[in-house]
Amino acid sequence: MEIQTLSQPTLASHMRALYSLIRKDWKQYWRYPLNAASSIFQPLIWIAPIYFMGLAFSVNGKAYGFSQYSGTTDFMSFILLGTVLESFINAVFWGMGYALKNDMDSGVMESNWLTPIPRLLILVGHSVTNLVITLITSMGMLIFGALLFGFNVSGDVMKAFIPVIPMMIGLYGFGFAFAAVVMLIREANTLVDVSSFLVQIFSGSNFPVNALPRFLLPIALVLPLTYGLDAIRSQLIGTTTILPLVWEMVLLIVFMFVMLWIGIKAFRSLERRVRVLGTLGQH
Amino acid sequence: MRSEMSVRSLAVPGFFADLQAFWAVVRREWTIFVRYPSWIIALLIWPVIFPMGYILTARALSGTNGIGLATFQRTTGLDEYVGYIAVGTMIWMWQNIVLWNIGGSLRNEQLRGTLESNWLSPTWRFSYLLGASVPQLISMLMLMFVATLEYIFLFNVQFEGSLWLSLLVILFAIPSVYGLGFAFASLVITMKESNAFVFLVRGIVMVFCGITYPIAMLPDWMQTVSKWLPQTYIIHGVRTAAISTEGLSGITLDLQMLAIFGVIWLAIGYLLFNRMERRACKTGAIGQY
Repeated sequence: MEIQTLSQPTLASHMRALYSLIRKDWKQYWRYPLNAASSIFQPLIWIAPIYFMGLAFSVNGKAYGFSQYSGTTDFMSFILLGTVLESFINAVFWGMGYALKNDMDSGVMESNWLTPIPRLLILVGHSVTNLVITLITSMGMLIFGALLFGFNVSGDVMKAFIPVIPMMIGLYGFGFAFAAVVMLIREANTLVDVSSFLVQIFSGSNFPVNALPRFLLPIALVLPLTYGLDAIRSQLIGTTTILPLVWEMVLLIVFMFVMLWIGIKAFRSLERRVRVLGTLGQH
Repeated sequence: MRSEMSVRSLAVPGFFADLQAFWAVVRREWTIFVRYPSWIIALLIWPVIFPMGYILTARALSGTNGIGLATFQRTTGLDEYVGYIAVGTMIWMWQNIVLWNIGGSLRNEQLRGTLESNWLSPTWRFSYLLGASVPQLISMLMLMFVATLEYIFLFNVQFEGSLWLSLLVILFAIPSVYGLGFAFASLVITMKESNAFVFLVRGIVMVFCGITYPIAMLPDWMQTVSKWLPQTYIIHGVRTAAISTEGLSGITLDLQMLAIFGVIWLAIGYLLFNRMERRACKTGAIGQY
């Protein structure tokens, strides 16, 4: 009898492994339904203080000061879109680096690592469930955002997907490198929280980056995500872009290739280092 | 030959044994805390980056020529927003970290698989929570100290009020903040879903207690809710004590309310813990997760 197992690696066996990883994460996520429900409301809660603060700066709900930087008086649609996109960015941050930390804590990291599956596939598998869940929660968030804060899209939704694709693929490269760093230092919470928060600030998820003080602006301008968020917003709510849209797209595509290359290289090198140190099972 | 030896251990219950257990928990928590040096980064970075998001949004809302800021000043009666946001967010961070650390302390032990064995030891079980609070409080005072320095030197916040009055408000706030943490820890160990509960409680504080805006900006029903939350008085009290020159008279109501809330929340925390303890004995579910 011919036995087809994971120990004879083929594309089909890799797909099965990927499916198993996704199923496991999916089951684990929905096992705690309150956590699942809270992930829809959590981002709305985060932006509620900005909403009330924004009202204090607005006349009849229109933020004229804000429009001088962004080109729109609808500050809540601007912020809500940034929050949704940031959730996807975090899904890649959390989905890979944090999942590895969870595996370490639960003591399954070493045994998972011994399976004949490409290790990058394990990372990708961990992020897929997160991305699907983010998609579901984002839809919920936008619906509630429309009801509570008057979220409104005036542009072309399909065109907005064009910058999303290279941005998300490039993020995977970043996520690989980041996951390797988590493996090496064995502590994810602070690293994930701080870095995702900094990226959130400097990529302008809650405000137009040209409102940053001059000395901080260069940090925003070297982050490819800044251009991703900027391009998507301009397509959806007609904000003014930092660079011409075509240039922003070119930058995003370059970012995609460069980050994937750097991410894979960094992951392989750091993962080897962890195996040399023998700290894979420690946490 | 049979040797006689006086054995003094935790198995001999008494005040001294309870104190030893408490100290053992404090030591363990402190060791875990310093074991991961990333806390130093967190201590330095969080007080800056957390309010920074709100401060920069407020800056964007102000506009290039200050048109939005003029509206803000008219609407709220405040001259500036930086110090106002910095203090509000610092108190929120304190409550948030207590919820994660104290509220999640028993749950973390449950996940690590050490809760059941600890529970079986003949110790005063409340010391698990109380002991975890001490290193946490020390780290929080360090965070506040670092945050204050960073606000002065990086954000140029003018703390024109009194340091001692600010510390007095924080002292009065401790029972409410940690009492809520104790209640939370007991609830989470029963309900399991700590993340959802942390998100809910910190979300309520974030929306209702005015971390970035005056409570008067909220609709009436939300203002009523905010009056029942101790964090509203902590934020108002520390802001008044640290930023304004109103002195003790400006914070008297806050101190009174915090004293009342402190007693209530400590009692709720202790009662919920006892209830959870009894429930755990009956159901035998303490080691499950």
